[in-house]
Amino acid sequence: MGRKAKKFIDKKKAATFQLMSRDSADDPGFGDAPGGDRIFVRVDNNPCSVDTLEDDGGGGGGDDDVFADAPGDFDDGEDGAVGSVAGARGAGGGGAASASASASGLPEHVRREILELGFPDDGYNYLGHMREIRNAGGGSAFYQNPKARLDLVPKDVKAYDASRIQVPKVEGNPHNESIYSVAANSVNVRVKKAVDPEVNALLDDSDLSRFGSDVEDLEEDFVVQANHPEGEDGIVEGISQYPGMPAVMGSVINELDTAAGRERQIDNGFPHEIRSRFVERNEEFDDEKPRERRPLDEQFDLLECQEYGSEDDDKDDSYGGYMAEEDESLALKLKQAFDDKVVDDLEIDDKYRVPADLLKDNDVKSKQLQDSAADLIRRCVEYADRYENENDDKEVVIVEESSDESEVWDCESIVSTYSNLDNHPGKIEAPMGARKKKLASTISVALGAANPLISLKGKEKLPVDYLPRGMKSSAEKVKGGSVSRNEQPRRKQHGQESKEEKKERKAAVKEERREARRMKKETKELYRCEAQQAQKVAATTGPSSIPLM
Amino acid sequence: MDYPIKPTKPGLEESSEEILRIRITLTSKNVKNLEKVCAELIRGAKEKHLRIKGPVRIPTKVLRINTRKSPCGEGTNTWDQFELRIHKRVIDLFSSQQVVKQITSITIEPGVEVEVTIADT
Repeated sequence: MGRKAKKFIDKKKAATFQLMSRDSADDPGFGDAPGGDRIFVRVDNNPCSVDTLEDDGGGGGGDDDVFADAPGDFDDGEDGAVGSVAGARGAGGGGAASASASASGLPEHVRREILELGFPDDGYNYLGHMREIRNAGGGSAFYQNPKARLDLVPKDVKAYDASRIQVPKVEGNPHNESIYSVAANSVNVRVKKAVDPEVNALLDDSDLSRFGSDVEDLEEDFVVQANHPEGEDGIVEGISQYPGMPAVMGSVINELDTAAGRERQIDNGFPHEIRSRFVERNEEFDDEKPRERRPLDEQFDLLECQEYGSEDDDKDDSYGGYMAEEDESLALKLKQAFDDKVVDDLEIDDKYRVPADLLKDNDVKSKQLQDSAADLIRRCVEYADRYENENDDKEVVIVEESSDESEVWDCESIVSTYSNLDNHPGKIEAPMGARKKKLASTISVALGAANPLISLKGKEKLPVDYLPRGMKSSAEKVKGGSVSRNEQPRRKQHGQESKEEKKERKAAVKEERREARRMKKETKELYRCEAQQAQKVAATTGPSSIPLM
Repeated sequence: MDYPIKPTKPGLEESSEEILRIRITLTSKNVKNLEKVCAELIRGAKEKHLRIKGPVRIPTKVLRINTRKSPCGEGTNTWDQFELRIHKRVIDLFSSQQVVKQITSITIEPGVEVEVTIADT
């Protein structure tokens, strides 16, 4: 395999330049010309000297050679480096700064620019920190994404299809603002609707009046304000489109003559009113008319006829404003209500007056007030009489409350059905008490015995008198004991007793033993509890002298 | 194989008239942009009637990284194969320096790196 006889270029004897972007306007070569924002920077260290590609001429080129190492260190190792644009600023800046910072101060135009930007004029070139927005990437790179599905763009994003725009190359007029070339050409782009027009309309609808509450934003004395038609001319100027304002109500009252035609259609319920605020009001008024008339409507009509004459169906023109109907109706109703009453009566500046005071007071203005006071007093008297009379008729019977719960006995409530008089606490005894009773009985028997000595009898030599007798009567035991006592001194000599005596003797002995056994069993039974306790103690306390049975 | 002969004006530097062997290497991760730049360069050179060789497409270097998909060690051992493709084109020119400067003053697409090697004569 033969290599090429001669390479086109021998890299070791060639100068290599990389195309990098210029740093900033500091560099005098910078311009908006098509190639003005780039510069060739030498990136190799070969000893060959080639006329450099920089367009700064000799001086700038010479300076840049000094910095030739810098980009070399940065870029040479990266064969597949991305975007020389991004990495070039330092190198270009290094090259450019050397050229321009020769003077100790800054050039005049640079200083002016720094001042314009608002930085202090202290000799430091703040422009070095500024980054120009260029039309050729500026560190960013566009990568076409073949998988971008723009038709799946979400609804709240507007997508413009600008793929067919031909942006002309910036060649003819290098002083044009080339950054606007794209924008200028995309004017005719058909905007793809991202959302439905109706949805758009709803979203753009800034008139939130139909969703707003009606009684918001009312001043505290809106009622009083509404009732003073005279003082409303000042409020009229402050009309706004928002229907909740009291000013609107004021103006509404002013225009009652024109609004009289509307009154029939006004209803009390809010849902109606909210609906009726939409644009086509006239049609909606027609819709509301066939609603059945309530007695309140008739009352209302009567009142309006009284007050405003018969202008019911005459005027149907627009308000001239976006007035709320329920405010109007509210205002009207209030006006009706308050017209009947004298305004002064509503004032609470004088002291409170009881109906009786009103009756007695002869200089009360209106008869109506007096009548109402009299009526009130009469009614109070009626109620009082009724109350009193009711009490005389019936007796108050106190019925002991017996609920079902209390009838049922439960363990919490009752320990005994006997009261303490019958059931002395002393008589309720624990099981230990039974044994003490037995003990007491035996002791009493024993104490009752005349003999002060405690006699130990039987094989085990137990204090027979003090043992519990069990079922047998004490007399029998005494007897048995005594029989055995009687017979013992009568023991004859060995070989001298007869057969019957021997038999008797044997029988007596047997009996004695039998008794003893029984005694022992009874004792054991009696003291079993004690024995268990003793064993427990002995077990827990460890080795001791107590022999465990 | 036609060497263009330019009339030399007095006072002009000789170096700019000298025919140099210039190798332009274009590198990019993005083929489309790369091809675009390449085509423009060649078009520009042909307009100036320069002798041009190219574009030579150097084989694409693919840098692959295989990583486990899982951030922990649990699960089926699935692997991601990430790759980065680097495309390289080489264009050889015979021209003077001035011309080269003009040619390379075209708008360069973002992401394309341009390296110019000038032979020492």
